[in-house]
Amino acid sequence: MDSSELYHIKQQFILGAYKSLVDLTLPDTSSPDYIPTLVYKARACIALNTPEAVAGLVTEDTEDVTLKAVSALARYVGAADASEKDASLEELRDLCVELEGEDVDADEREKNLVHVLAGTAFALANEVEEALETLGVGTNTESVEAVALIVQIYLSINRPDLARKEFERARRWAEDDLLLQLIEASIGLITGKDGYADCNSFYTEQLGNPSLSSPHLLTARGVTRLLRGEITAAKSDFEEAVSQQGGTADAETLAAMTVAAGLGPSKASEADQLWSQLSSEYPRHPLVADVGRKAQLFDELCIKFDVPPLAAAAA
Amino acid sequence: MSVMLTKFESKSNRVKGLAFHPTQPLLAASLHNGSIQLWNYRMGVLVDRFEEHEGPVRAVAIHPSRALLASGGDDYKIKVWDIRPQNRRCLFTLHGHLDYVRTVQFHHEMPWILSCSDDQTIRIWNSTSRNCIAILTGHSHYVMSAQFHPKEDLVVSASQDQTVRVWDISGLRKNTPNTAPGTFDTFDTFSTVKYVLEGHDRGVNYATFHPTLPLIVSAGDDRQVKIWRMSDTKAWEVDACRGHFNNVSVAVFHSKHELIVSCGEDKTVRVWDLTKRSAVQTFRRENDRFWTLAAHPELNLFAAGHDSGLIVFKLERERPAFSVHGDTVFYVRDKYVRSYDINSGSDIGLLSVRKFGSPYVPPRTLSYNPAERAVVLTISSDNGLFELTALPKDTVGEVKDSSTDGKRGSGHAAIFVARNRFAILNKTTQIWGIQLIEVRDLSNSILKTIKAPTQTNEIFYGGTASLILSSATSVILYDIQQQKTIAEITTPPVKYVVWSTDGSLVALLSKHTITIANKNFSQHTLIHETIRIKSGAWDDSGVFIYSTLNHIKYCLAQGDHGVICTLDNPVYLTRVKGKTVHCLDRSARPRTITIDPTEYRFKVALLRNNHEEMLYIIRTSNLLGQSIIAYLQQKGFPEIALHFVQDKSTRFDLAIECGNLDVAFEMARAIDRPDCWERLAQQALKQGNHKIVEKAYQQTKNFDRLSFLYLATGSSDKLSKMQKIADARGDPMSRFHNALYAGDVMGRIAVLRDVGLHPLAYLTAKTNGLDDVASQILEAAGLTDADVDDVPSFERSTLKPPPVVTLTENIVWPTLSTGESFFDRALANGHLESGTEVPYVNGFDSAGAAMSSALDEWAREEEAQEDVEIEEGAWDLDAEADESEVEIENEVGVPEEDEELGAGAAPGISETELWARNSPFACDHVAAGSFETAMQLLNRQFGVVNFTLLKPLFLAIYRSSHAYLSPLASLPPLQLHLRRNPEESSSSRVLPVSVQTLQSTRQGLTEGFRYLSGAKLPEAQTAFRSILRELLLVSVISDDEAKQWRDMVTLAREYLLGVTLEIERRRVTRDEPDNVRRSLELAAYFTHCQLQPTHLQIALRSAIGVFAKANNHVTAARFARRLLELNPDPKIVAQARQRIAAGDRNPRNAVEISYDEFTEFEICGASFTPIYKGSPSERCPYTNAAYLPEFSGRLDPLTELTVIGAASAGLPAPRS
Repeated sequence: MDSSELYHIKQQFILGAYKSLVDLTLPDTSSPDYIPTLVYKARACIALNTPEAVAGLVTEDTEDVTLKAVSALARYVGAADASEKDASLEELRDLCVELEGEDVDADEREKNLVHVLAGTAFALANEVEEALETLGVGTNTESVEAVALIVQIYLSINRPDLARKEFERARRWAEDDLLLQLIEASIGLITGKDGYADCNSFYTEQLGNPSLSSPHLLTARGVTRLLRGEITAAKSDFEEAVSQQGGTADAETLAAMTVAAGLGPSKASEADQLWSQLSSEYPRHPLVADVGRKAQLFDELCIKFDVPPLAAAAA
Repeated sequence: MSVMLTKFESKSNRVKGLAFHPTQPLLAASLHNGSIQLWNYRMGVLVDRFEEHEGPVRAVAIHPSRALLASGGDDYKIKVWDIRPQNRRCLFTLHGHLDYVRTVQFHHEMPWILSCSDDQTIRIWNSTSRNCIAILTGHSHYVMSAQFHPKEDLVVSASQDQTVRVWDISGLRKNTPNTAPGTFDTFDTFSTVKYVLEGHDRGVNYATFHPTLPLIVSAGDDRQVKIWRMSDTKAWEVDACRGHFNNVSVAVFHSKHELIVSCGEDKTVRVWDLTKRSAVQTFRRENDRFWTLAAHPELNLFAAGHDSGLIVFKLERERPAFSVHGDTVFYVRDKYVRSYDINSGSDIGLLSVRKFGSPYVPPRTLSYNPAERAVVLTISSDNGLFELTALPKDTVGEVKDSSTDGKRGSGHAAIFVARNRFAILNKTTQIWGIQLIEVRDLSNSILKTIKAPTQTNEIFYGGTASLILSSATSVILYDIQQQKTIAEITTPPVKYVVWSTDGSLVALLSKHTITIANKNFSQHTLIHETIRIKSGAWDDSGVFIYSTLNHIKYCLAQGDHGVICTLDNPVYLTRVKGKTVHCLDRSARPRTITIDPTEYRFKVALLRNNHEEMLYIIRTSNLLGQSIIAYLQQKGFPEIALHFVQDKSTRFDLAIECGNLDVAFEMARAIDRPDCWERLAQQALKQGNHKIVEKAYQQTKNFDRLSFLYLATGSSDKLSKMQKIADARGDPMSRFHNALYAGDVMGRIAVLRDVGLHPLAYLTAKTNGLDDVASQILEAAGLTDADVDDVPSFERSTLKPPPVVTLTENIVWPTLSTGESFFDRALANGHLESGTEVPYVNGFDSAGAAMSSALDEWAREEEAQEDVEIEEGAWDLDAEADESEVEIENEVGVPEEDEELGAGAAPGISETELWARNSPFACDHVAAGSFETAMQLLNRQFGVVNFTLLKPLFLAIYRSSHAYLSPLASLPPLQLHLRRNPEESSSSRVLPVSVQTLQSTRQGLTEGFRYLSGAKLPEAQTAFRSILRELLLVSVISDDEAKQWRDMVTLAREYLLGVTLEIERRRVTRDEPDNVRRSLELAAYFTHCQLQPTHLQIALRSAIGVFAKANNHVTAARFARRLLELNPDPKIVAQARQRIAAGDRNPRNAVEISYDEFTEFEICGASFTPIYKGSPSERCPYTNAAYLPEFSGRLDPLTELTVIGAASAGLPAPRS
């Protein structure tokens, strides 16, 4: 059973309140919560796309597998080129293999955590099969985090049916875990069951959670509103999220705002302005990348059609 | 509403009036022959008759609280009678009406009697003072009926003058009216006509108020039943019920339900829905016209009088919907689902179903699912509905209504077929005439649709994964999984199906037959009943107990059946336990009936060779009678029957039949009749029991046979005795026989000598070597040896009886077992006295008698009971089983799920693919990111080739159709797809959000208009072009929208053309100032673009200016005239008039231009020259803009998108 502090940290992590985690004061090094907290803090850094901060948190010579894993993930995320990435992936693979052996001093929870971190990296590297395998899909692992990852991977490959199966299974042992609710909400985001009621109410509910506030939740709720076709409400969520973020929108919010701007009665210039902001500030955001690819595709396709000369008076 | 249930009928003279007693089962009927009958319709007896009227009696009424009856006849008299039997007489007669009295009625609280008459008046009489206190005049023809309002001081009357009138009689109550007779003129002040209801086209025969609502129903000779509504100030016709094809005599409201019942001279009684005004039911009589109709004030009971009597009937189906599970009966009463525990007798309401279906129709069937504690009900209203609802776990507090979370649908029959599935038969949904049975899960979504193999009227549970389908001629056992017929039994339409508790037998109930079948229908028996079968239930020992209209009967699996007891009222059996039959009565109240199950218990024991129980039954009950004996005999159990029979001859018969010689002998001796002895002898002979045979022969003095028997048994002593007997009898033949059998030669010779057959005697002696005797014979015959010289000499005779090998004299040959039965033993063992207490209750109650082997049978039944539980497992009812299975799956890990849930899961179909698949519109393909197909579509549909211009649009649409969200840290965000309709998640219907809509483009249009008005022509041109581009990427969802879309395209095209013309004109004026002609032409053409009036004004005014400047006054004046038609501002009007005047003054054109305003023309968008009607042209495949043929194959210069003259498919049809 987690201590209440750790529980709170976990909750913040799940609900995307990464900022407050990064600013967290670590407990005493002797505390049993020390390492888990440190891991969460490191993961929050990675989530905020500042993986370089992890190096300052975790010492190179750490013996703890979870810390090793998290720093490997940080290196992977922060890696500049392919070889560096491969190196950290290999490191994670080794860690996983190591865990298989009995001589490693790691409990079930730590093993799961390593798997989750490794799975994240594999998923980022688009190694879907390896990620799923690492996360122990179809095995008896009772790790909600792993399930959450599995579900999201399934969703990303358009298998909401499998995602739901995995979720239903997890529901048997995980009761009403917050993360489980999040998983259900994520499935709802994709399937759109009951008019996106699940996800929308989940985020609305969590926004009312008194123990934390996270612009991520606002953005997420805004996205569910977008999905429900409530454009104006969505936009107000995004605006609020931006103001919570201190006036500068993060990639997620900015992307969502761009999408929203293109919908409903709004000026095309606004969407374009947001778009150029997004593509210049976050050129690696999937939306930017995707639209970029599509633009290229468009140009390629255009060539396929012969354009005859413009009809004009013979003059 | 299934049937009109006739409760009672009587034959009599024509019935003209009817009245129910409010509390007792009495009905007064006034007849055309002057008699008034008082019937007890429950008992079916005539209680009394009142015969003082002369001529027909049309009016009759019973006092609501006192034992009074009022009647009115064609003798103009109203009579009031005391109907108490001890006091029966006419109390008084009211005189006053001057013609036939049509109706009478007592007031519900005042001592008033209301009457109406052919004298065109309605009168109110005080029954205390016996005076007329009011005369309501106004009707101009016979008043056919008059009725008090049930609460208010109103009277409604119907008359042949075609009106219905409502009278306010409140004045009558307030003031004590002048009671003095003869002052009629004052009466009218107490009562006024409140409303005159006109609407009937012929005379009105009857009108009455609704018991609670402000409604009136009337019946007329125009064959209509009309419904009227009243407010405080007015009354108006609501609707009419048409259907009667002759005069309607009476129409009344149903006291409980929203129904109207009417009857008429077309020999029908009809039932109408009050709210829908539609016919619900029609009841026809062959020959009798209906004259009157009365509704019981409290009950669902009606009486109708016709030409030859009356009928009492009710409307509602009374069979309650119920389902039995274990010892609990789930049933519906008064629109509440209730549960009744037959052990504790607790009866509680669980669920209200008041909002399910029609309020006046009770649910028809109920199917209970013990695993989910849910019920599915059906109701026949609204063309059949079903509703699935979970029953509350605890029933504290208010009972919930099923409408809160019930799942409904249309269907005629609905039953649970497994823990989480139920089947629906929907008679109306058919495909190619094949009925469909839907299997749904608990969330009411269809899992499977089965094509019924035959026209199915009902479906029932058919055992695990099976259904029983009832058709008009057979029942089919149908396997849901394999979707095939397992077996079929030919039977009349089966209405109910009852499974035995162990699920091995099923009773299929039809109207007059019961088919008992085993669970795979491989064996079955059919039982016929002459009266209607109502219900049935299985006894725990496997006997089917059923109820008919008036009996409870039993039926065994092989088809034997018999009566158990009689019934006063029909009941619906739910459960049979031992001697107790649990049932629901007609008002759906649980009750029990105690029955004597001896007879069928005995028969079952007999069939199962359960002798112990039979013995017990024999000993403890007086189960005697010809029927059971005949039954036993018939079934081949004479030896058992023997034990019940006292009658000697019957006993003898049975004993002979079963070969019980002892009993037969005993009885034969008791009866002592030759025929008995003979039959006994025959039977005994067959069995080789010669002693009995001997006795029988002795009894019947059958000496010949007896002698022969002795010969056969080698009993020489007895033979010699027989000789003596024969001597004594003096029967020479017998003596000779016996002598012969005994080998007594001397005896034979003696007989021959005695009868004077000397030659034979001589020869006998001679051949036996008895020469002395021979000589004696000769001597005696007076002959000598010489006399017989011619007689040849014979060898010595060898004739003698066969030697006895084994003396069988005392040995009986046991060729047939004497059949010492269980009973003989039992009876011999003296069990009779020490009789073990073997209780015979079936099944469950095993009260401490386990030592008796007779209980083995029951024990086996007990096991069978347990089997039921196991069966339920097969039913998929066991939730845990399900669970454990999953558990195993989890433990075993992946193997079978590998392919599905494994790491190597194949990517599924992306939503974007679905979008592209689901839509024929380019914009949806764009949103899906499928640019290639989108371009192909645009190319095909509109001939678009120049896509470069569309790139921003494509990207903007694509961009806005997908949102990104990362629910988990650090993972790449999920791409979410924005749908058009968030409620729609079915993969075959999902579509992307509409980024471009008609609305948004319409905004662009207004922007373009603004530019145009502000003469910002290049901006306007860009705006209209961009609108046309956007319109390419709009999807439409209806034909209406498609039309709007087309209109907008045309509008944008016209504006674009106009703007382009004007830009060209300005270019010409600037670049080629000399080319006035071209400038004029372009200005003129501009006025022919289909612009909105405001913008057309601009075009016209500009043209006027240009033309006036060029001194083309005539044309300028023409434009001015056209301008005036548009009703412009007064200032502009003035200018226009000036122009016209100038044109008139100066009727000439300075510059000749190519402009013929009188011929219809279009403008080529490339050359800006007119294409007059009939001239060849090419079109833009998108906007339909016209071009000169020479431009075919070129890029459309207006939109800059399409190829002129390219083939195109146009906008695809919107998907509904």
